Amino acid sequence: MAKYLIKRVAMMIITLFLIALLTFVLMHAVPGGPFTSDKQVSKAVLDALNEKYRLNDPLWKQFVDYLGGLVRLDLGPSFKYQGKTVNDFINNGLPYSARLGAVTLVFVLLASIPMGIVSALKNGKWQDMLVMAIATIGVTIPSFVIATALIYIFSFKLGWTPMYGVDSWKGYILPMIAMGGYSVSFLARLMRSSLLDVMGQDYIRTARAKGISETRVVVKHALRNAMIPVVTVLGPTVANLLTGSFVIEKIFAIPGMGGYFVNSVTQRDYTTILGMTVFYAAFLIAMVFIVDLFYCLIDPRIKFD
Amino acid sequence: MQNAQRWERVAASLDEADRLYSKPRSFASDVWFRFRHKPTALVGLIIIALLILFAVAGPYLTPYGYDDQNTKLANIPAVMSVYPAPDGQYIYITKALKLIEVDTSGHLVRQLKKGKDDSKNKVTVFPYKDDMTVTLDYTEQPVTIQDQNGNRIEKARTVWNRSYLLGTDHLGRDILSRLMYGTRISLLVAFIAALVNMIIGIFYGGISGYLGGRVDAVMMRIVDIIATIPLTLYVILIKVCLDDGMISIIIALSSVYWVDMARVVRGQVLSLKNQEFVMAARTIGSSTSTILTRHLIPNAMGPILVTVTMLIPSAIFMEAFMSFIGIGIAPPLASLGTMCNDATDALRTNPYQLFLPALVICFIMFAFNFVGDGLRDALDPKLKK
Repeated sequence: MAKYLIKRVAMMIITLFLIALLTFVLMHAVPGGPFTSDKQVSKAVLDALNEKYRLNDPLWKQFVDYLGGLVRLDLGPSFKYQGKTVNDFINNGLPYSARLGAVTLVFVLLASIPMGIVSALKNGKWQDMLVMAIATIGVTIPSFVIATALIYIFSFKLGWTPMYGVDSWKGYILPMIAMGGYSVSFLARLMRSSLLDVMGQDYIRTARAKGISETRVVVKHALRNAMIPVVTVLGPTVANLLTGSFVIEKIFAIPGMGGYFVNSVTQRDYTTILGMTVFYAAFLIAMVFIVDLFYCLIDPRIKFD
Repeated sequence: MQNAQRWERVAASLDEADRLYSKPRSFASDVWFRFRHKPTALVGLIIIALLILFAVAGPYLTPYGYDDQNTKLANIPAVMSVYPAPDGQYIYITKALKLIEVDTSGHLVRQLKKGKDDSKNKVTVFPYKDDMTVTLDYTEQPVTIQDQNGNRIEKARTVWNRSYLLGTDHLGRDILSRLMYGTRISLLVAFIAALVNMIIGIFYGGISGYLGGRVDAVMMRIVDIIATIPLTLYVILIKVCLDDGMISIIIALSSVYWVDMARVVRGQVLSLKNQEFVMAARTIGSSTSTILTRHLIPNAMGPILVTVTMLIPSAIFMEAFMSFIGIGIAPPLASLGTMCNDATDALRTNPYQLFLPALVICFIMFAFNFVGDGLRDALDPKLKK
């Protein structure tokens, strides 16, 4: 167990280092410095700016400095917004994004798993058809289309929910549905096929032969096994929600991190792009790690090695 | 007659006993047989064919280019509710309170020039033909119009827009033409990206799987590291480093999506490489590259094709996603994603501008997903759920 943990953590650190290196190289491969696109500034000012942001140092030294900053959780200054640091953006945006992300994740789990269960138990009946139809639609329609259609219907035509912002709990409903739509559909399909698979196993027949009720067979014997594939894809699901948030936060004008990230991308604010990518990567790697640990806990057949 | 023949004694020659009475079916025709017995897959294939036709041949049939703009005729929908003009023609009032003359068949003729604007009484007089005038009264919503004698004109009927079949966007560009060019670009980007990914993935996965051992471990570790981070982030990063344009989107998409393909090919090669035909090829002295390209990869083509068909919708999706957040195709060229993005600002007033490109995206996604599913079931019936 301890050996496995050490190995995983070492792997995580290497991955994170490589990602930092890759993004750093990419951001410095961009033709022209970060200040060239601004309106004409004199050479003296440009030199001073380069000096201030230590862009005159050799590249390896800049990278070492950057890594040093990462270790101290300091992601450096923003190139486009005077006096702002990348940490400021993250501190401002994270609460909103985290809240929306958590709400959406709960929604995804609470919607998809029952959908999958119903659809598998009623295999071939109208309930199954309905769930599968919803799931197909959810997988094929891009989230920004769902989001704008929802706004048009529920905010603009019916006036039930606010058009943008998350000032009240109502503001979370539409972003949650639009952002989670894909994951709900995906997980529902997975849950369905996994449960169908489990229900055909011998131990289910044994359980039925013992004479216990069907509910008990499903709840006690089938569900726990059927949940395993769903748990394994939770890591990618979180990643999916996270990248989905870029678009959703833009559409619903939620002041979260996704909005800052998209903004930095369109404004070509290189240090912010770099810092946020590393932050996202670290977050995701940590999430996948937690999910893996959890996975080992619910399935005793999996050994730590 | 037939039956009597059947009961006759067969000549006791071996040739006759070995004769096959039904035509042998090739693998391809087997796949096609299973594929066309799945209605969703067939519908998907037809939709794809129609979309390709729409994107390739369509632009030759419309009189407008993707960047022909006429700002005087901006934001006009496909179906207009019009008022009868004094001379029997029609008048359409835009959301921006401009008056457009429409002829009886539904063609847009011209935008009426403003005459006298009386902002105190909130009326505007538009001179029409000869000495006829039309007065627009915007004191209250909905606005009303009167003819030169002061009689109120009631809405007459709804007509199809014959000049612009699907209406115009906020710059007065023909949406139908832009949809054609947009579909063309989206499909082109997706096809090229899928092809490049397929080639990279096949070689990477093939080499990794065939050589095995330490090479495999290192190559797959690299894939694992790449796969830890959502591909969206990479694509955005790479796109930021390159300039705007179609080529850079294709490069961005092709440089990361091969990971899945590499894994699929590696798995296939691993399971195939210990079979007898590979051993036979090795025995007669075939080189590694010959074994890979002539023996292993053709046998792994089924799963590869399925992965490619599934890759195309995700490439289209990613391209639309990037265009939507503003780092996609540079204007005036349009992809379906940029069209959606342009239309979001006007969602309240002109929702059709968003729903048309969104509908095309959905069609593409549905079609490719259905075809991918159908192909998977047809190529490997064991996988069928």
